[in-house]
Amino acid sequence: MKPLQMTDEDQSREMLLRPSRRQIVSGMASLGVLTGGTFRDAFAQAPKRIIVPEGDFAPLPIAIPNFVPGTPSDGEVAVGVTQVITNNLKRSGLFAPIDQAAYIEKVVNIDTAPQFTSWKTINAQALVTGRMTRQPDGRLKAEFRLWDVATGQQLTGQQYFTSPEYWRRIAHIISDQIYERLTGEKGYFDSRVVFVDETGAKERRVKRLALMDQDGANVRYLTRGSDLVLTPRFSPSTQEITYMEFGQGDPRVYLLNIETGQREIVGNFPGMSFSPRFSPDGQRVIMSLQQGGNSNLFVMDLRSKSTTRLTDTPAIDTSPSYAPDGARICFESDRGGKPQIYVMPATGGPAQRISFGDGTYSTPVWSPRGDYIAFTKQGGGQFSIGIIKPDGSGERILTSGFHNEGPTFAPNGRVLMFFRDPGGNGGPSLFTVDISGRNEQRVPTPGFASDPAWSPLLS
Amino acid sequence: MKVKIDKTLAASIALHVLVLGWGLVSFSTKAFEMEPEESVAVDVVSADQLAHVMAGMKSGKKENPKPLVEKVAEAKPVEDAVGKITEKAPVVTDTTPPPQPKVEEKPVEKKPDPPKPVAESKPKEEPKEAPKPIEKKPDPPKVDPIAEALKKEEKKPPPKPEAKAATPPPQPQKPKERTFDQSKIAALLDKRDPARQATTGDTLNSNAALGLSKGKAADNSATWGSMFQSQVERCWKKPYGGIESQNPEAAFSIRLKRDGTLEGMPVPEGTPATPYLRVYQESALRAIIECQPYNLPAAYFDEWKYFAPVFTERKT
Repeated sequence: MKPLQMTDEDQSREMLLRPSRRQIVSGMASLGVLTGGTFRDAFAQAPKRIIVPEGDFAPLPIAIPNFVPGTPSDGEVAVGVTQVITNNLKRSGLFAPIDQAAYIEKVVNIDTAPQFTSWKTINAQALVTGRMTRQPDGRLKAEFRLWDVATGQQLTGQQYFTSPEYWRRIAHIISDQIYERLTGEKGYFDSRVVFVDETGAKERRVKRLALMDQDGANVRYLTRGSDLVLTPRFSPSTQEITYMEFGQGDPRVYLLNIETGQREIVGNFPGMSFSPRFSPDGQRVIMSLQQGGNSNLFVMDLRSKSTTRLTDTPAIDTSPSYAPDGARICFESDRGGKPQIYVMPATGGPAQRISFGDGTYSTPVWSPRGDYIAFTKQGGGQFSIGIIKPDGSGERILTSGFHNEGPTFAPNGRVLMFFRDPGGNGGPSLFTVDISGRNEQRVPTPGFASDPAWSPLLS
Repeated sequence: MKVKIDKTLAASIALHVLVLGWGLVSFSTKAFEMEPEESVAVDVVSADQLAHVMAGMKSGKKENPKPLVEKVAEAKPVEDAVGKITEKAPVVTDTTPPPQPKVEEKPVEKKPDPPKPVAESKPKEEPKEAPKPIEKKPDPPKVDPIAEALKKEEKKPPPKPEAKAATPPPQPQKPKERTFDQSKIAALLDKRDPARQATTGDTLNSNAALGLSKGKAADNSATWGSMFQSQVERCWKKPYGGIESQNPEAAFSIRLKRDGTLEGMPVPEGTPATPYLRVYQESALRAIIECQPYNLPAAYFDEWKYFAPVFTERKT
């Protein structure tokens, strides 16, 4: 249809411009060629085209029989890996793992093609088979194959070696492989989340930095809870976290290496520094510095320790976040009266306001895919999590309620994690939601949890 | 000079616009892409019955008593009466008369009518021709009971004067129309106006329904196409591609056997450019394979034995 529209435009343009006769003749000739072309196309298509239009998205039915133990002692880990994969795929909302009780065929050997008819019978469209084998050198070998049941094709297959204690990571990596092959997008299962773990009574809440796998397993505490910690953020290198801590005196931005436990203050500024975030290359930290009644954005190079001021306004500029290409930042500012989201070049310069809805906007986060900025919106007595395109269009609210805050993107930009506080005597807990607003899921944590920050993919 | 050039240019542009515009409309590819259509609950009709219903009535005349009457004209008869009947016969009080008598008489004169079937190509003509006789007939029929024979005699005289329009001309006219004689066309136009009024008024009787000029009775792709859609969609688990529209589209050409199963693997059109499009295409392929055999009307096997399903997100 496009060529047809073009001809219309061409034509009207010619009419307006009143070109020479020759131009008109040639224009008409080209029109004729174009339309003639479409005629030919139309008649050349032998088979009649039947449009099968948009239907509903449906989770893909997938069968994941227990991985085969390579040696008799591998049964436990084989089942564990299978369960982690099943849980990951199910929580993504894009897959519908079929109950193992329905399986007709028992997979005993993954080196031969399965009997696809018996998987078709239970309506599986994809099938995962795998094997876990303890190697003589003590390592664990994981193999898996992903099959398309309808066509009988193997879609992908991999094997990995790892030390046995990392079997969960292997399961996450396999999950990512399956996810990527069946959705066409990168996975996000092999990633971690840092968050603020909250325990104790509401008045004397102890807040500790904690780290866990994205599915809630392997929780590890990074601070002891003597000082209040807020807004942890992952470095793209995954080895470091930056966060804000109320120690003695002003709250400061800290850097913490999660492997070594080493801790340092970022810069030495007079006054309060807060809401830090890494640049995409992990070499710089951008943050707010309080100066009198207002705050401005600064960026500090972690190697040279040189600091650059990005904004200089009598307003409160805070919550900066880099675009994935590092060229622009989004941040929150009340320079227009109420807190709103602005976008400006990462080197400073004129800022463009992108949020214009009712209420106030805060905590903007740029998606790793670059296509959206997530925010917390406050208005009408509700806190909502939403996303908006960097040009200010396409705003959509994903969830709203009494208190939702602090969105952070999964490494593939498809899922958001945030925390929700129901109020009362309870405490906050973590949730994930797809950027379409579907599939809201609670993330299991040992206690109350807030301020999540998703790591990039580990591998 | 300029003025002249402008005129010719304007004329040529206008003509081109007309022709191209017409071409765009009438040749637009939509004719070849069936829009999504909802299946409608219908009675089960055998192919024979369907064919019977669809068949145009070349020889049959009055099976359909109420064919294409857009305005069951009460007013029109009156107008007609004023226009022509006054001239013809003051005798006639123009009561929209018993249709049946007409029926009886029509056969008599309808020997001229048989042209109607011939006229299929241009249905409009038929009404014109048929109506005129009808009009003339009605006048006499009113008196039917009294003397049919006399009226017949009377009728013949009046038709002939106008008859150039009606009985004798039809046969010669048709060929002429096809050659596009301007003089003839003018004649036709003159006749049309009165003829139409007459037809609408009189059509209460009969006008053999010959079908629409656009009629595509033979093409039932909309029917089996939507049947295919609804069946294949049951098996289609679309990959979720996010909220940004990539406008994915996956087309295949497939051959089906008479029992509705695939004759071979569906052949995808083109290779997908992105991982998501590949996944999208695979999901559609899976659906096609998984949903066979397809239950499609056997009568149109020739149409669905080879076709191209297009899976798309596009909103038309």
